Amino acid sequence: MTRVKVTAPRSEAKPVMDSRVAAEESDVGQVFVRSLIRSQLRLSLVVAAGFLLILLAFPLMLGLVPGLAEATIAGIPFGWLLLGAGIYPVIGLSAWLYIRSASRNEARYRDLAEDR
Amino acid sequence: MNPVVGIAALVGVSVATAVIGFYGLRISRTTGDFYVASRTVRPWWNASAIGGEYLSAASFLGVAGLVLLSGTDALWFPIGYTAGYLMLLLFVAAPLRRSGAYTLPDFTEVRLDSRAVRRVTSLVVVVVGWLYIVPQLHGAALTIRITTGLPSWVGSVAVVIVVCLTVVAGGMRSITFVQAFQYWLKLTALAVPIVFIALVLAGNGTPALAEANTNPTGLAPNGPYQNISLLVALLFGTLGLPHVLVRFYTNPDGQSARRTTLIVLGLLSVFYLFPTAYGLLGRMFAPGLAQGERSDALVLLLPGRLIGGPAGDMLSALVVAGAFAAFLSTTSGLVVSLAGVISQDVLGGSVRGFRLAALISATVPLGFAFMTDSLALAGSVGLVFAFTASTICPALLLGIWWRGLTDAGAIAGMVTGGVLCGGALVAGALSGPAASGAAMPQWLAQPAAWTVPAAFAVMVLVSRATKGRVPRTLTKVMTRLHTPERPLATERQGHSDR
Repeated sequence: MTRVKVTAPRSEAKPVMDSRVAAEESDVGQVFVRSLIRSQLRLSLVVAAGFLLILLAFPLMLGLVPGLAEATIAGIPFGWLLLGAGIYPVIGLSAWLYIRSASRNEARYRDLAEDR
Repeated sequence: MNPVVGIAALVGVSVATAVIGFYGLRISRTTGDFYVASRTVRPWWNASAIGGEYLSAASFLGVAGLVLLSGTDALWFPIGYTAGYLMLLLFVAAPLRRSGAYTLPDFTEVRLDSRAVRRVTSLVVVVVGWLYIVPQLHGAALTIRITTGLPSWVGSVAVVIVVCLTVVAGGMRSITFVQAFQYWLKLTALAVPIVFIALVLAGNGTPALAEANTNPTGLAPNGPYQNISLLVALLFGTLGLPHVLVRFYTNPDGQSARRTTLIVLGLLSVFYLFPTAYGLLGRMFAPGLAQGERSDALVLLLPGRLIGGPAGDMLSALVVAGAFAAFLSTTSGLVVSLAGVISQDVLGGSVRGFRLAALISATVPLGFAFMTDSLALAGSVGLVFAFTASTICPALLLGIWWRGLTDAGAIAGMVTGGVLCGGALVAGALSGPAASGAAMPQWLAQPAAWTVPAAFAVMVLVSRATKGRVPRTLTKVMTRLHTPERPLATERQGHSDR
């Protein structure tokens, strides 16, 4: 029987440390870092607010449009379809949009921090 | 139900869990492996494992039971459970991974440079973990009683024994495999029977016994306060669950932590369609199951009730196996994260300390489970979410995004949130044995809507008042949390992964 020994993680490789240490120590680096944090926070808040608005709109729609909650599609009331299944694609879409934009913010930061 | 079916399913799942746990043992050798699988678990594995760990008794049994009882009001539970992960992705996933900490107390200590914060966080984490394990054991007790007729304690004890064996033998690495397996088992165990049931009902042209929108027990619908407070608890509570957070350390970097979360969201969305379907079919074709305390057993009883015969027995066995997978995976995830915290803070962080801590973390809630009566499963897990949302969540969110947080502020906020929310829960529990929301004032039954803002407010105000205590390591830590690691290699790896 062969024993495989898993060694310590290699994720913190040398070049990383250098660029991160540089960002920590210089004033210019900190300007970039602060602006990265601000843009990431703004992005997260916007996505969260948008999602919560849609979430709120669903029950409001069911409550305000008469007969909508009771209308059936293939024997299932529309209210059940909307809250039981319809909300999940919205969650997935929000997550996907967020990841795309967050990675873009990081790529922009990386360009700035390395071109210096 | 035929008792042999239940016992066979229980034994089958336990053996499968132990075998996969043992297989994992061979590649788990260092202390790092034991805690977080050396942070080298692939996104798909990791996402399945997170799904497996997160989908507890409340999701597998509780949601369907609650949908049966209160209809569309109960759909906010699965929505909240899933959307909580969206919040986790937006505000916590990548920074938490980049902090490089093993456990929640590690994170607060690094961020606030304070041993005192660490101790308070550890205490809260242990309380949360124990509170969360108790409903899992209640679920196991219910399942054993309903499906085999054996005394309830057999179910709780069986879960604790299997969990102790797997965790002590393999630590986190084998837990990853076990839980990834258990996600897919749980999904199959719900999906196959419900598809069968739907086909049989449609084939026979069975008429529905009741309208989907009528509550079978005449329960009053929830007011907006209850639904909103519940959503606050679930959305913010997920951020603070220790067994969920510990999973993020097993991603190689922040980017893959995000990718993992996206996959988890997909897995959860697919999963929650099924408990909802059980609840809906239960309301329409078997509303009688809502009587008494059996509503939580809807998922277990529906296949036998609507199909019956040997086919019904086979499907029941599958559902019972899925239920035990749910109890086992959530309990073992919690035990691993609790053992991580206890062994590092009390026992010195060795592998042997981890094993001892795992035993402690699994047996204490067993005592609680024997002493307390089971409430509705989804409801009691919802209360644990309210507790984490009022304690760990503010510390985590402000710690990641606000430079002004101080150790004094974090401690004051966590203590305030814990005392208010814990007080409301205890007052609610004492105000009558039959108090499951009906007799209690709503603000006590669902405290999150006011305890979460209170905890945030105290944390911010006290931090403002103790400005001098902002740690000197702040710049360094904030840079670490938010800047991408391995600038180019991450991208390349991202492409080769696909």
